[in-house]
Amino acid sequence: MNSTTLKNLLENLLIFWCGLTAILLVGGENIQLPTWLQVVGRLHPLLLHFPIVLLLLAAALLWIRDENRIRYFSWLLLLGANLAGVTVVAGLFLATEDYSSDSLNWHKWTAICSLGVAVGLYFLREQTLPILRSLSVSLGLILVLTGHFGAELTHGSDFLLAPLKQPIDNTLTLEKAEVFNDLVKPILEAKCVACHNANKVKGELRLDQLTGIQKGGKSGALFVAGNPELSLMIKRIHLPLEDEDHMPPKDKLQLTDEELEILRLWVISGARFDQKVAELPKEEAFFQLVANRFSTEKNYDFPAADPDEIASLTTFFRKVNPLYPDSPALEVAYFGASAFDPKSLTDLSSIQNQVVKLTLNRMPLQEADLSILADFQNLESLHLNFSDVPGQQLEYLIKLPKLQTLALSGNPLDETGIKALEKMSQLKKLYLWQTGLDEGKKNKLSKALSSTTIDFGYLDKGIIYPLNPPKIKIDKTIFEGQTEVILSHPISSTEIRYTLDGSLPDSISSPVYKNPIQLTASTSLRARVFASGWIGSSDTKELLIKKGTTPSSYSLATPPNPKYAAKGASSLFDGVKAKANHTTGDWLGFTDTPLDITLSVSTTQPKKVELSLLLNEGAYIFPPQSVEVWVGYKGKWSKVNVAPQPIPTQIQDPRFGLVAIPLATSPFDQIRLKVNPIAKLPSWHPGAGSKGWVFVDEILLH
Amino acid sequence: MEKEFLEQGLNHNRRKFLSRLSLGVGSVALGSLLIPDLFSGKKEAEESLMRALPHFAPKAKRIIYLFQNGAPSQLETFDYKPQLIKNFGQELPESIRMGQRLTGMTADQSSFPLVGSYFEFNQYGQSRAWISSLFPHLSSVVDDLCIVKSMHTEAINHDPALTFFQTGAQVGNRPSMGSWLSYGLGSENENLPAFCVLLSRGKGNGQGVYSKLWSSGFLDARHQGVQFSNSEDPVLYLSDAEGVSKDQRRRMLDQLAAMNDLSYQEFNDPQITTKVQQYEMAFRMQTAVPEITDVSKEPDAVVKLYGPDCLVPGTYAANCLLARKLSENGVRFVQLYHQGWDTHDNLPNQMIGQAKDVDQASAALITDLKQRGLLDETLVIWGGEFGRTNYCQGKIAPENYGRDHHPRAFSIFMAGGGVKSGMVYGETDDFGYNIQENPVHVHDFQATVMHLMGIDHEKLIYKHLGRRYRLTDVHGKVVNDLIA
Repeated sequence: MNSTTLKNLLENLLIFWCGLTAILLVGGENIQLPTWLQVVGRLHPLLLHFPIVLLLLAAALLWIRDENRIRYFSWLLLLGANLAGVTVVAGLFLATEDYSSDSLNWHKWTAICSLGVAVGLYFLREQTLPILRSLSVSLGLILVLTGHFGAELTHGSDFLLAPLKQPIDNTLTLEKAEVFNDLVKPILEAKCVACHNANKVKGELRLDQLTGIQKGGKSGALFVAGNPELSLMIKRIHLPLEDEDHMPPKDKLQLTDEELEILRLWVISGARFDQKVAELPKEEAFFQLVANRFSTEKNYDFPAADPDEIASLTTFFRKVNPLYPDSPALEVAYFGASAFDPKSLTDLSSIQNQVVKLTLNRMPLQEADLSILADFQNLESLHLNFSDVPGQQLEYLIKLPKLQTLALSGNPLDETGIKALEKMSQLKKLYLWQTGLDEGKKNKLSKALSSTTIDFGYLDKGIIYPLNPPKIKIDKTIFEGQTEVILSHPISSTEIRYTLDGSLPDSISSPVYKNPIQLTASTSLRARVFASGWIGSSDTKELLIKKGTTPSSYSLATPPNPKYAAKGASSLFDGVKAKANHTTGDWLGFTDTPLDITLSVSTTQPKKVELSLLLNEGAYIFPPQSVEVWVGYKGKWSKVNVAPQPIPTQIQDPRFGLVAIPLATSPFDQIRLKVNPIAKLPSWHPGAGSKGWVFVDEILLH
Repeated sequence: MEKEFLEQGLNHNRRKFLSRLSLGVGSVALGSLLIPDLFSGKKEAEESLMRALPHFAPKAKRIIYLFQNGAPSQLETFDYKPQLIKNFGQELPESIRMGQRLTGMTADQSSFPLVGSYFEFNQYGQSRAWISSLFPHLSSVVDDLCIVKSMHTEAINHDPALTFFQTGAQVGNRPSMGSWLSYGLGSENENLPAFCVLLSRGKGNGQGVYSKLWSSGFLDARHQGVQFSNSEDPVLYLSDAEGVSKDQRRRMLDQLAAMNDLSYQEFNDPQITTKVQQYEMAFRMQTAVPEITDVSKEPDAVVKLYGPDCLVPGTYAANCLLARKLSENGVRFVQLYHQGWDTHDNLPNQMIGQAKDVDQASAALITDLKQRGLLDETLVIWGGEFGRTNYCQGKIAPENYGRDHHPRAFSIFMAGGGVKSGMVYGETDDFGYNIQENPVHVHDFQATVMHLMGIDHEKLIYKHLGRRYRLTDVHGKVVNDLIA
């Protein structure tokens, strides 16, 4: 093969690599490799060395004075760029195998830049030397970077600089971390031990062993617990750098501000060697300074359960979930008390080592057998609120080594239950609201579980609240014949008392509501609730009106106010109760003229006539000042006595009123009603002196 | 001659170019064989969701957000400013206002007289936090609270501010916070929606709440908030129609599912399966919802804790109790709105009424969650959409005044769910007008709340109309100081 053909071939191949690289980049994570290409990918760590060498060599040639250097340069560059192409493609194949990190991203893109610059450089090889040189320098730099990021991938991200850094144990949890071993000792080892060890005992002080630290050196003890000002070590490390006694000596690696502070606070906290970080008082500066150096996350090292098993245990009423994606620890929650089957707990035995949290709140556990839970070695949190769990079932929990949180609120505790709890010293939090414990039992339990925080919950401290009023459920306000009224209150322990005569019910003499009330006549019903430990409620009122007979004819002497005319007089006999709002169009309103109506009665002679009214003092709507009634028999009229109407003494909420007027027993065939609106509103009213209104929606004959 | 050379060269180059191009295209084609779904982007959504999920156990599993709609005044509740009482009636200095835009309601006022709190303040608990006499119950649980006095927002009117708080944008077409969390974390209890909404209304000056606030925006409709009403049917259209038995219902749903399955096989539209799942969930809700909304079995002590109003459907207290019950049953996000805090005038009077509505029940909710061991994993948030001005709107008297909207500084509190307890964060200046230290923007707040739920707010992304969306848009910093 002659050199031109080879060159052409290699040049074409360059384009090929570039294209392949581009499409692989577009494909990204969606690439699915056949296995043989994976092998090609895994050649990447081998291949990568060739282009680095060839390309750097080519670049170096540019600085050698030789007439042929451009030729050699071109050939090396062509070969190197091709190998770079192969390497990049192989690398992209390899990258599909579950690598994902920032380093990979950096490595990938710098490698692609290298390839791009190499290819570009080749096609620009006819350019002037300065251009070629500067491009070559950048190629070299990018190659070095690419190599560095690649090495980070295989050797770890801090591989290169690791010897310069202090080791920090990030995986250490706050629970396990110890003040001396994990905070103080690392500082001494990094900055002090080099001069104060068995081989080199400067100042007769050894800091590489505990006894040496406790004993001190030539100048005396290192520290006075609790007193940094008197502590030699703290004094020496805080001296100005120029001071001869400053430690560490000027030319040695110095303590950082944080390290200085840790040593000082350690001495303040008592310079103890056995204390755990978690035991430091949370509000102290020391704890706040160091707490975030340790992870508060729990690492679970037990094996994960079979995902299929987890899926099969999950139903609509039982959720089995990892604590977070990929965590082996599981939490299980039951929902829907009516769908609960206590036997279903045994299903969980297949994941008994993975369950760390179990929620059974409100599930009926009277019949449940919790013995299965005794094997849940990793269970940390168990919620059994309001589940009626029998006390003896708690015995199965005594031996659970990791149980930290137990919620038993709402379950009355018996002696067996309390005894079982007293043995659970592993608990950190215990919730016992509404468990029926008296003060003595609470104290005894608190003593037995001295390291457990027990929440006995809300205690009503004798504050007495008023009850909310009861509800009255009626079928219709205007009823025919007979109607049923149901009273109710959401607190079941209350007593509902009621009256049917419009008076305010009291807690002694008013009848107690037991069964639905049957009414056969118009009634003003009022009800209140009472219960011990509460203030009696305000009252709920309901006006029920019995439907009357319809007169054979009727006529209004004067029309109602045109704004409130409803459908004329016929509205007064339609048997439809209007709403408590005078603007609904169902009310007849009168102010300048009285309601003056004459009715003809043909069949049965009524004994009573009732007026259904609206009362709303705020809107000037009052009861009538007077009602005049006449009965007529064959054209002769006689007046009926009507009791005067009470006048309200304050503004109240809109409500209904009823005026009942007994009629004469002597025969009559006509009735005339004259309802006079109040002429002057009383002096307490904001509109004192002006005319009032009367609103009527029904006239009922009984 | 020269021209021919040039053409020769051009032809040669063109041929070369084309042959190389074909090689390039060939390699692209070859490579594309390795990528089965090169042109479908369906995996992207799933993958971006996985990236946002926690790699550690989240601090909070559920949220109850007690939204105080209308914006309660910070100066009468948590931000104690004796200076304003001392300087009663004096003009708000321009050095403090610094050209701050005002609403149309007070911009035309000729003067801006400072007015201090009508209510006394005291320090409570171990944290010695200042709380006004309006909140006797909340001050008794102060050591469970994390009060943030340095909230600030961008909007100055109710609707945009509320929408901003709930959806991260002032215009109303984005998913609500609850929808995002439902999308990210799913439901705990498959028999209930992951996002529920409860409304109540106080006697104070009210501002509307609209269903756009709990809309799922461009997210799947199953993440939308479900509003519970205070009628006999807490969830509308849930009960069977009259004359339809449970069995008939079941048979009907089975038939429907079979037909839907046929059309799914024909069209492959995922919306069809979503719909079937929704029917099924509604069927299960028919049992689950009455079990939860029934308050008659709550012990007397619960009623005393929340106050007897908690048994009157539709009150704030009843909603707090219901919120606890929903949350206890695995509802991810319970959103309450209590209207009536928009105190432009008659402020002391209106606030007494509003505080009476919310004080006992809010404190009760915290106590109640705590005594059941649930507060550790439930985040309770209390607050409005912005604050109120330190100057008086309208007529001024020490016992009767009003305050306008103020977005530059206001107070909220959180409790439980991984926030520090007994903490007061942030500080405003002596006039209570500007933030002096540790400002928390609404986006920061949202980022922090998502962080507590284990979600990286920068990674919970949904692509819609060619753009990627987040609750926090391109902003938001997790406030680590608030996290326990």
